[in-house]
This record gives sequence, structure tokens and C-alpha cells, in this order.
Amino acid sequence: MGPYRLQRFPSAAPGIALLARLGAIVLALLISALVLALTGAKPGALALQVVTASFGSQFGLEDLGLLVTPLIFTGLSVALALKIGAWNIGAEGQFYAGAFAASAVGLFLPVAEPLSLFLMLLAGLVGGALWILIPTLARAYAEVNELITTLLMNFVAVLGVYYVSTGPWRAKGANSTTARIPAEIPEFFGSLHWGLPAAVLLALLLALALARSRFGYEVRLAGSNPQAALYAGLPARRRLIAVMLAAGALAGLGGMVEVAGTVHRLQGGLSNSYGYLGIMVAVLARGSLVGVVFSAALMAFILNAGIILQTQGLTTSTVLAVTGLILFLTAIGDELAHYRLVRDARA
Amino acid sequence: MDLLTGLLTTAVLAGGVLALAALGEVLAERVGVVNLGVEGLMALGAITGIATVAAVPSPWLGFLAALGVGALFGMVFAAATVLIKANQVLCGLALTLIGNGLSATIGRAYSGMPARATFEGVAIPLLSEIPVIGRAIFSQNLLVYLIYVILPVAVSIVMFRTRHGLNLRAVGENPAAADAAGIPVTLMRFAYVTAGSALAAGAGAYLTLAFVPGWSEGVVAGRGWIAVALVIFAGYRPLAAVLSGLLFGFITALGFVGQARGWPVAPAFLSMLPYLGTMGFIIVPVIAWQRMRRIMAAPAALGLPYYRDVR
Repeated sequence: MGPYRLQRFPSAAPGIALLARLGAIVLALLISALVLALTGAKPGALALQVVTASFGSQFGLEDLGLLVTPLIFTGLSVALALKIGAWNIGAEGQFYAGAFAASAVGLFLPVAEPLSLFLMLLAGLVGGALWILIPTLARAYAEVNELITTLLMNFVAVLGVYYVSTGPWRAKGANSTTARIPAEIPEFFGSLHWGLPAAVLLALLLALALARSRFGYEVRLAGSNPQAALYAGLPARRRLIAVMLAAGALAGLGGMVEVAGTVHRLQGGLSNSYGYLGIMVAVLARGSLVGVVFSAALMAFILNAGIILQTQGLTTSTVLAVTGLILFLTAIGDELAHYRLVRDARA
Repeated sequence: MDLLTGLLTTAVLAGGVLALAALGEVLAERVGVVNLGVEGLMALGAITGIATVAAVPSPWLGFLAALGVGALFGMVFAAATVLIKANQVLCGLALTLIGNGLSATIGRAYSGMPARATFEGVAIPLLSEIPVIGRAIFSQNLLVYLIYVILPVAVSIVMFRTRHGLNLRAVGENPAAADAAGIPVTLMRFAYVTAGSALAAGAGAYLTLAFVPGWSEGVVAGRGWIAVALVIFAGYRPLAAVLSGLLFGFITALGFVGQARGWPVAPAFLSMLPYLGTMGFIIVPVIAWQRMRRIMAAPAALGLPYYRDVR
């Protein structure tokens, strides 16, 4: 044994953790490129195509921006719940529930534009919060694992939206979509709407509120050390309920922004797995709500790459596998970042 | 076929998917590892089964190949979570993404085609003549007996009646004590996580070779997650896990029969039944009976990595 050995420390040094994370992403992309090369594709040419298509034109940038927006909302949703130690794997379902509620208001409530948008926004928030209500109460009062209950609700939401968009709300002449919702979030750059700046602003405000307010402090304490929170007499259960409902509302808001800003209709495939990718976004952001904006941008780029490469015979499911690989290597990198070389006292 | 016979026959057939996957998850969770990759492993097993029978038309070979692929991915998962001790939740979710993505990519070549070879029902002489259960139980494919009887009974005996089983449970309850008693904690965890993953993939092959049969993207449809939930509902017991698989097979069958007979409920709502049923079954018991929490408790070290030098 040399004079140095590896020792595990309880916390990872931030610099090393960040490095491990970048390493994981690069390694995952390299492995994917290798697999692509083995199946006969030319990864270099494909990568060039992705970069030029994403950043080489205004359309590319617009597409990227439209993908970032929902990912910020779902990423914030998962990251916020994680602050208090809850796994919200149900952002996908809450996204659909918010979109559903907002569409109901937008399609059937006869009010004029600015007011109707505001009511849609409220409906999106409430729809998302309602969708996480049962998992929240079950976790708070019966300690039922929220990870599984929130996830099961996803399937119910997808089936429900599929039902209304192919059944009672189906537009005349359409197969599986509702009529166009009259109220729209205004655009500011090509097809980019104000949902994107709003999402970024929301991330900043939430981060500020959580860092500076008493409520935020209590949430962080209850999340990082439940025993201490209990000992300090914090109303931990009420904080848990509030945070989980807010997380649901955030994902629901994402769904509202998607129907009111980007898609303008309620339809079955409304979410490009935004809810599941939100988990990736939150994990990559490493608990930082501001970091969610950056990791959402990264995930949007990867998702966009998949959409661009569809012409090359790849599917979005291939991208899902690549994101899974990133997540897997990130988890490993996070753990390895806890190790440091220390001088061996025995030597 | 009358209503009851049809319901039970479909219930036994459909429940086999959940029962086998849940049994695999019991193995992993009893040694203290939460494997949330079941959904992805099932997808991998499902496409492995289909691709294998497309090359060699033998369902048993397809099933075995799925077990092998499941064990392989299980070893990768175990290497990350047991050897490196990376976060189990993240690795499990990652495995599900990888499994779903890979299987969908590979599966495009097989999409919409019926399986080239399937597990067919075998009528057992005499027993299959019994009304109702003759058809529901004794005319099924042979895998059904492996899933409902042979495997769970074997696992149950090993887990609760042998020294090895006591060691296995000790690893999940208190790995430090188990380690001090000379039980190879890491090896036990690695082996049972791998075995559990193999069974999950096997459940996927059963799905595409015996139940559906055939591949389409999203064919697993959350069954892996339901299986994970069933393990909680079953209180981490192998026999109970298999029986709850059957119960959920019954709920699924209710939806099918409802659609076939044109009950005045939209198919989408009937399809929601298994998910809502699972929610109900893991929430209601712990609210209704406080005592259940203790009886149904998870292994004490579930989800926690074991570091020998941090005790």
C-alpha cells in the first residue's frame, strides 16, 4: 500500500462533484456515439448535424427554447419536492392534469383574452396540485411511499387526457385532438412565447424565497434532517403537504403553458416525457433551483437532438435510453465524488 | 365460456406477469436493495423474448434468453448500487429509462407482428374437466405453474426455513450485524439483485410470449411499477406477492371482460383500474389498520448502502 489511500467522506467537494457530473455526461455521450458507430452510423457527422440544426438558425434556437420551457417547470417541480425529501415521479401526470384543467377553462369558459389566460393559469396550478393531493396526504398521514403513488397517477392522467381528446372534446374532423384554444400566451421572438422568460424568472424567485424566507429555511431543515426538524418543533407535516402541493402546481403550470403557448390544443402526446425528463433535470441540477434552468437547457438540447436525428432512423426512445445512461453514470459519479486521496497514516 | 370462467382464466394468465416481477423484486428488497428498474427490465425481457423466437421458434428459449439479459443488466445495476454504492433510486430510474429506450429502439423491427412462437395452454387430463377452475387453472400454459407454485414455494422455503434464508433476511435488516456474523453482505446483495432482475425480465418475456402475445412499444405499460407497489402491499413476502399478482390479474381481467362485453364504461376508464387499484391497495390498509404498519414493515436497511467502515 502506497503512502496515499482513498477515503470516503460524508460530503462531496463541490468542485469534484461538478467534475464527476460533467464526466458522466461526456462519458454517456461517448458510449452512445460508440454504440451508434457500431451499428453503422457516423456519430461525427450526426453530431455536426445536431449542432448546426440546433444553433445554426433562428428556427433551431426557437425549437430549443420551446423545449426548455416545459422542462424548467417539471424540473422545478421535482427539485422543489426533493428539497423536503420527497420524490415526485409524477410530474408527467401533473403536467397533463394542469394542461387538462387549463384546456377546460380555455375551451369552454366564454371570457375575453387577458382574463381567460389568467383563469387558465389558475386552473393549471389547481389541476397539478389536485393530481398530487392523494399521494401527498398518503405520505403525510400514512407514510405511504410517494415515489410509487405519484408515478401510478401518471398512467391515470395519460389515459384520461387520451379519453377526452379522442372522445368528448375531440374537434370536428380531427382524430385525437381538441379544437384550438382561443387564448394564447403572446410571442416575443419568432414562435418563442413569454412562457420561457416566466419560467426562468420563477426559478430565480423560488430559489430566492427558499434561501431567504423562514418558510424556506424550515423546508430545507425538514428535508435534510427530519429528526432535527421534529425536535425543533417544526410543523414538518404541514410543510411537507405545502411543498408537495406546490410541486404538483408547478408541473401543472408547465402543462398550462404548453397548451396556451406552444401546442394550443389538448392532445394525447402533449408531453414529450417532460415529466420524466424533469427528474433528470432536477437531479443534474443537484438541488439548485437556479441550476434547473441550466440542466433544463442541456436536456432540451439532448431531446432536440433526438427529434433532429429522427430523419436518420433514430427515435425519441433512443434519446430516452441516452438520458438514462447519463442518469446512471451521474449517480455513480456522485458517489465516487465522495472519495478523496488522503495520506495514509499507517504508512 | 361463461363470465366467471373467462374472468378467472384471464386473471391467472394476466396475473402471472405481475406475480413473477413482484417475486423478483421481493428477492432484491429482502437483501435491502430497491430496484426501480423493474419496468425497464420487463421491457428488455419482452423484446428479448420476441427477438429470440423470431430467430428460433421456441418460447422456452425466448424465456431463457430474457432471464439471461435480465441477469446481465441486473449485474450492471448491482455493480453500481451494491459495489460502488451509488444512489439506488437514481440507478433504478436510469435502468428503467435505458430499458424502455433500448427495447423500443430494437423493437421497431418487430412492432405489430404476432410472436412467432408462444406458450400455449396445456389441458391437464381429468383436472381440466372440472367446471370453471378446470379451464382457469388446469388448462393454462406450463409457465403458469412455475410462476404461481414452484418458484414462490421454493423461495418461501429457502427464505423462511433455512439458515441461508435467515442470513439473507439479516442482510436486509441489519447488514452491519450480518457482516459481523461473517455473512458476505456484498455477495448476497449482488446475487439476489441479479436473480431478481432476471425474474423481472422473465416476466417481460412471459408478457410478450404468453399473454399479449407480440411486441408493441409501451407494451409493459406500467406493470413493472405495479409490481414494485405489490411488494409493499404483500409485506415483502414471496407467497403474498404472487397472490397479489393474481388479484391484480383479476382487476386487469375485469377491464378486458368489460371491453369485450361492451359494458357502458369507456375503455380508457377500464384501463385505469389496475393503477387506481394499486393506489388503493397500498394506501387503504395502512390507514384502516394501524397494526398493519408493523406487520407489513419494510426490511430495516431497505434502500441504504452498507459501508463497512461507517457503523
